[in-house]
Amino acid sequence: MMENAWLIPLFPLLSFLILLLFGKRLKKASAYVGIIFTLASLIFSILVLFERFSEPTYMTKFEWLTIGDLHLTAGFEVNQLNALMLFIVSLVSFLVHTYSKGYMNGDERFPVFYAYLGLFTFAMLGLVLSPNLLQTYIFWELVGVGSFLLIGFYFNKEEAKAAAKKAFIMTRIGDVGLFIGMILLFWETKSFEYSEIFKAVDSGAVSGTMITLTAILIFIGAVGKSGQFPLHTWLPDAMEGPTPVSALIHAATMVAAGVYLVAALFPLFLASKTALLTIAVIGAFTAIFAASIGLVQTDIKRVLAYSTVSQLGYMMLALGSGGYVAGVFHLMTHAFFKALLFLAAGSVIHAVHTQNIEEMGGLWKKLKLTGPLFLIGTLAISGVPLLSGFFSKDEILIAAWEGGHPILFLLALIAAFMTAFYMFRLFFMVFTGEARSEMKHVHESPNNMTFPMILLGVLAIVAGYVNTPWFGSFFGDWLVDGNPALGHGHIEGPIWIMIAATVVSLLGIYVAYLMYFKRSLSRNWLSGTGDTLHTILLNKYYVDEFYQLTVIAFTKGFSYFLRFIDVFVVEGLVKGVVGIVQGLGKTGSKMQTGQVQTYGAVAFIGLALLAVIFALTGGYLR
Amino acid sequence: MSSVPASAFLALALILFCIGLYGALTKRNTVIVLISIELMLNAVNINLVTFSKYGMTPSITGQIFALFAICVAAAEASVGLAILIALYRTKKTVNIDEMNTMKN
Amino acid sequence: MTFSGEFLAFMGLALVAIIGGVLLLNLTKVVHMVVALIFTFVAIAGIYVLLSAEFIAAVQILIYSGAITIIMLFGIMLTKHDDESEPKTGKWRKILVFLGIVGFAFAVYIGIYNFNIEQVPTTLHENNTMQIGKELYSKYIIPFELTSVLLLVALVGSIILAKNEKKEADSE
Repeated sequence: MMENAWLIPLFPLLSFLILLLFGKRLKKASAYVGIIFTLASLIFSILVLFERFSEPTYMTKFEWLTIGDLHLTAGFEVNQLNALMLFIVSLVSFLVHTYSKGYMNGDERFPVFYAYLGLFTFAMLGLVLSPNLLQTYIFWELVGVGSFLLIGFYFNKEEAKAAAKKAFIMTRIGDVGLFIGMILLFWETKSFEYSEIFKAVDSGAVSGTMITLTAILIFIGAVGKSGQFPLHTWLPDAMEGPTPVSALIHAATMVAAGVYLVAALFPLFLASKTALLTIAVIGAFTAIFAASIGLVQTDIKRVLAYSTVSQLGYMMLALGSGGYVAGVFHLMTHAFFKALLFLAAGSVIHAVHTQNIEEMGGLWKKLKLTGPLFLIGTLAISGVPLLSGFFSKDEILIAAWEGGHPILFLLALIAAFMTAFYMFRLFFMVFTGEARSEMKHVHESPNNMTFPMILLGVLAIVAGYVNTPWFGSFFGDWLVDGNPALGHGHIEGPIWIMIAATVVSLLGIYVAYLMYFKRSLSRNWLSGTGDTLHTILLNKYYVDEFYQLTVIAFTKGFSYFLRFIDVFVVEGLVKGVVGIVQGLGKTGSKMQTGQVQTYGAVAFIGLALLAVIFALTGGYLR
Repeated sequence: MSSVPASAFLALALILFCIGLYGALTKRNTVIVLISIELMLNAVNINLVTFSKYGMTPSITGQIFALFAICVAAAEASVGLAILIALYRTKKTVNIDEMNTMKN
Repeated sequence: MTFSGEFLAFMGLALVAIIGGVLLLNLTKVVHMVVALIFTFVAIAGIYVLLSAEFIAAVQILIYSGAITIIMLFGIMLTKHDDESEPKTGKWRKILVFLGIVGFAFAVYIGIYNFNIEQVPTTLHENNTMQIGKELYSKYIIPFELTSVLLLVALVGSIILAKNEKKEADSE
């Protein structure tokens, strides 16, 4: 089965091509095309995943380009991480395809939406199958294009357009880092192959500084894609896209690409303490930074977006602390419960037609299915025991503690508290209390929307049990099998960490409960302590404004300067050249009178001139 | 033996050729242009005949060549005039200035 | 250089030819120009006689002075023969062409000047026509026949071009 893994990305590509060519004619049926092809991908991915449990890594490649001694290869690889990612991506993609059939119903660009989804899924699946950096980079950019198209899907909406551009440009900044890192690595190791790179790093063929430099550059690429500080600002804005897209791209798959990249190149990062520390610090900082912003946001999707940024920070922290398994484990569980949350949020938006949580309330009774499912997702992300998020978050905290970063551990703990608080704030504000505005025709979503949510809800509960301190760490052991460099499957940590994590998350929930359900604690408790703090948080630490004032202002100034040069120097030159050519042309066309006699005269005068010169210079008969 | 040097004949031919050339390049009437070209051909013929008499190996070939040239010139004159008349029918002019359809 | 009879004859004929040419350029009426050129053609025939080419001289008078001049006169009469050769030609072009021609003549004259080609006694003047006839029908038989084809083509072409009018009139 594994030798046929290359088929998996081809199914969505086929779907994309079919919809591109026949989408207009297929209309509603295009949903089935997308669903069937992603289902095929999903089935293949499951088969591959199960086969990978018992069999060794499969890898195949062929020579793609030969320049002198240089051999560039292309191919695909199925190792543990790739198989897992294939499964996650195709599953979420399939569910989102199904869900979108209900959510996007009635949109006039329905087939286009499915075509874009197909393209994105193809790129993402291709990305996780790539065995070398070059191929990864190609798919990495394709993923960016897919994301751009989907965020800007409502392109007649000004914000969506701006958000799409912002997402593309911000991730491009990261991609430049990735690209430079890639080229440097190639320069040092003469190969794009992951295995060759690791071999070169292991044998010490690459100097320590160079490893640190390339690792950090590649990490910058991951920062851009995964929305880590300071390139995180695009991710919340990307919520302008359709909600299923947010679930697919900005929760489960694309933003995980950064984490995946770091995980895939983990041996490289392991070789540099500095790079690991950078990742850990940025991860921890992003986790608490985004969580604190999430505390006060009022847009349901933005809260989720900031929680995504925060959770991605967690994963980075785990990887940076050497907790490979913890990071990948959280990547998986997060994919499930965050996709669930987004789809549930989409269901809520579908029902009430607003994204502002201040206007919602009391939906628990009206949305009989969405409510409990949203609660499951909230509990999972808050790290309440027995749900998937609890186990993976626990792993991360242990990894941070054992990795020797007590301060980062503390930050992560605080972020966990905040996560629990804002998620339950969201839950209470949306589902409990009185409706804060007129809500008419509130109804549960159709079956094809609830089905993916139920499936994800089940996964959000049980996905954690593959790697627990109590029932064995089957998942972790499998993930690092045959690769001792990646560390142990499960890191034993002191039991108090688990208790602390539980206490912290329950405390967060309790505070939210008091504040937003019982209302025994003033809602303005936070604002009471400092209006300024609230304003700062509401404005997301003014990061956007800071960029506006510094980077963008500088760029604009520089652009004006360049424009000045362009207008006066370059254009002047160009106009001069154009003028000369035009003048010559006009003179030339004036000479073209069409009178043979004139032509003859000109030709003869030329000949006479030559003859005279020839005679005078003495070439004649001598 | 001739007391007139060959260069005298060549000089005469040159002068006639130049007159013909000037006429062909400046005259406006197409008939005159054609006649000027005939004059140029004549100048060439003088050269041919001159070289058939002068030189190390005088030969009749030069004269034969001149004959052929006259022949071709006659054909050229007749076709040229036929074209001119056909043109005159459509354009109502023999003025070479107005025959500039090549431009468009 | 002696002023032999031959030389005098050459000078006279050359003078007539050049005067004819100059008149061609300077006369105002088209018919006058053609008539001026007849003098030139006849003078050239005389030059041919000096060059021991009696047959060519006869052909010259028949073809040029006779046929071609008559054709040209017909051409002038069939077109706007009353049109004076207008002085509209650009002054600058005239000057430029004149300068070019002077330059060209100068360059060629440098070549002709001091051109002393060897002269040996010839028999070209004895039975000139017979010599030409022998050559034409032996050595140059194929070009000679080709010439007849050329003349035929010219004849047919001229007739076709002239007939064009009726066809156009029919189609209209």
